[in-house]
Amino acid sequence: MRLVVSFLLLFSCAAWAGEPELLEPDKAFRFSARMIDANRVEVRYQIAPGYYMYRDKFRFSAEPASLSFDVTQLPPGKIKKDEFFGEVQIYRGDMRFVLPLAVAGEPVPRFTLNAVSQGCADIGVCYPPHEQKAELRLAAFSPAISGAGGLSFLRSSPGTPPPAAAPGGRPQSEHTLIAELFTGEFWVLMASFFGFGLLLALTPCVFPMIPILTGILVPHGERLTRARGFALSLAYVSGMAITYALAGVAAGLLGAMLSSALQNPWVLSGFAAVFVLLALSMFGFYELQLPGALQGRLSAAAGRLHGGHFASVFVMGALSALIVSPCVAAPLAGALLYISQSGDGVLGGSALFAMALGMGVPLLVVGASAGALLPKAGPWMETVKRFFGVVLLGVAIYLVSPLLPAALHMLAWSVLLIIFAVFLHAIDPLPHDAPGHRRLFKGIGVIALLAGAALLAGALSGGRDLLQPLAGLQGSAAPGAASTPLRFQRVSNLSQLEAAIGAAQGKPVLLDFYADWCITCKEMEAFTFTDGAVRRRLDQMVTLQVDVTANLDEQKALLRRFALFGPPGIVFFDRQGNEIKDLRVIGFQSAAKFAATLDLVLR
Amino acid sequence: MTGLPRRALLIGSLAVLFAGASLLFYQWRTDGDRLPDPEAVGNRVFAATLKGLDDRPETLEQWRGKVLVVNFWATWCAPCREEIPGFIKFQAQYGARGVQFVGIAIDQKEPVGVYAKDIGINYPVLVGGLEGMDFARQVGNRRGVLPFTLVLDRGGRVVATETGLLKPEKLESLLKPLL
Repeated sequence: MRLVVSFLLLFSCAAWAGEPELLEPDKAFRFSARMIDANRVEVRYQIAPGYYMYRDKFRFSAEPASLSFDVTQLPPGKIKKDEFFGEVQIYRGDMRFVLPLAVAGEPVPRFTLNAVSQGCADIGVCYPPHEQKAELRLAAFSPAISGAGGLSFLRSSPGTPPPAAAPGGRPQSEHTLIAELFTGEFWVLMASFFGFGLLLALTPCVFPMIPILTGILVPHGERLTRARGFALSLAYVSGMAITYALAGVAAGLLGAMLSSALQNPWVLSGFAAVFVLLALSMFGFYELQLPGALQGRLSAAAGRLHGGHFASVFVMGALSALIVSPCVAAPLAGALLYISQSGDGVLGGSALFAMALGMGVPLLVVGASAGALLPKAGPWMETVKRFFGVVLLGVAIYLVSPLLPAALHMLAWSVLLIIFAVFLHAIDPLPHDAPGHRRLFKGIGVIALLAGAALLAGALSGGRDLLQPLAGLQGSAAPGAASTPLRFQRVSNLSQLEAAIGAAQGKPVLLDFYADWCITCKEMEAFTFTDGAVRRRLDQMVTLQVDVTANLDEQKALLRRFALFGPPGIVFFDRQGNEIKDLRVIGFQSAAKFAATLDLVLR
Repeated sequence: MTGLPRRALLIGSLAVLFAGASLLFYQWRTDGDRLPDPEAVGNRVFAATLKGLDDRPETLEQWRGKVLVVNFWATWCAPCREEIPGFIKFQAQYGARGVQFVGIAIDQKEPVGVYAKDIGINYPVLVGGLEGMDFARQVGNRRGVLPFTLVLDRGGRVVATETGLLKPEKLESLLKPLL
């Protein structure tokens, strides 16, 4: 019953999209371009059914401007009567045409094709003139062999089939890759997403799910058969998968800031509270197992309770999906971004469902292995439960960490570590004949105790860095260049952004979308931006930041301008001030990876 | 059977309800686009200042208190041109009873001037240029398409938002109760 209510709630969120569905211009008029040979460009517009484009409204230009196109040879279109302009020619369907390219002055290895076009939909609306770009590359371009042909490569805006890796071409960022996945066949797409989920399962993102699942399976102890373990895991994974599918559908229909909705302080605190409750039960504050007599009576009525049991496991799966979603932000953002543009809820939902099933495979393995991968009942199991309790508390702290002041954050970890140490008998004396594993645990406990004590001392002495808690005690030694926080120039609306890009004086520009509630943003600040190699590269760039915490209209306009759902998101502009779409960073990147990205920007 | 599932069911359901409620609250609080407040959108309309065909800046505030029809259009937009003769007729018919049409052209001044003169537009036409589309988006034109028409009552509340061709019958049924 409660399940029904919850799902109704979720669906009511998705029901707001009531307007006549119109495609985004990039989707209605899909643009791509490629070099046929060194002096001819093929331009292609895939015009959605029910949409058309005006033949005489196309404008093509190139950067650098030494290149120009001959547009006199555009193919004739269908005639449409217009009472003001007379007869006009329009294009429909899949349009391809060839633009002869004229080069004045120095030849260039690559250029950007800017295509401005204008079109309408049959239902009686028109789109304003719209600019689309393709970056074209002449890999084997040389004036002497300009007729050679066939050796040119292309990179163009999303919507084209991904060209096979162009030698020396820019690697594509994760979310571009995902957007391109959507151009394939339905089943290919589903298979890709399943595989993608499998890859995600190899990341630590899935770890928090294992203790939860174990918490569900362990109480069954000896009675847990492989079939039942598998069935329970399947219920859990289904819950997870359906949550992701709903996110996909909602993104398809709403196109709203979903990831930020899930990362708002109330939701984060709510989930942290759930984790704390689960952790407390792991520590035995309240019994997970009913008294023996009751249990006996209940097992007689087990048949009646099975349904409810599976439903609860299903709900846990659904919750877990929401909890780990910040962890898989990058692939999710890419998928959600594209789904929201496609307006196709079914496709989006199916794709994310397949992805979640892939993520769930290791969990199914844990479940199906029943006894093998899970601890047997007994004192050993108590230890494991306590360990998971600690892990759950850790996850809870991690979830709310962006909301906490640094000192409180450190205190929380120190308390957790010290309590963990006490559970490991770190301060109980060891008997002389203690077995090896108890000595090992005591050792780990002492380490945890010392780490917790260091954090506590650090927090109380003004240290604010989790990884260097005692830095505050070193006195004010000369601070290294890399330890000062990166200084961003704040921009808060489009005109400020344009002004800042204009003032960059030929330097590349980095634009970082930030919000106080954004965990990934904080991680980037703490681990990536502080890295020396990253800092040396950032010093050669203009670094801008938009704080979208307040979610004002002008901030939302900026997010829309870059088709972002919300932070985290880092956008780059080249030395001419044009956005480098392929290099966007959505989600966390390690210092090494981010430095490599910056190298490509600085090229 | 154990106690965990029932407890987990309770906790889980509460958490889902809580999450759903938070999501709703968050959307309601932050996403004005989805559940627009008719008066707030109206205020955004009245706050705008655009140049007229004579290059003089005009505020939309000057038409507060009228039954206002704001029509976003362009000369390059065939469906827009199709509905304008109807607007001219309505302006002549209902103008004396407090109805005011205002055209905002997402276009350049020259073709707009030629067209307005040619077809005899009898209500003010302001020139928004392509930036005018940002304004249109702010007042509810989600996909940034034309034509797009807002109808405001005398109290400055947006009572209708129409994307695409607005049929005379529909417009009349919208205007009648506001007179």
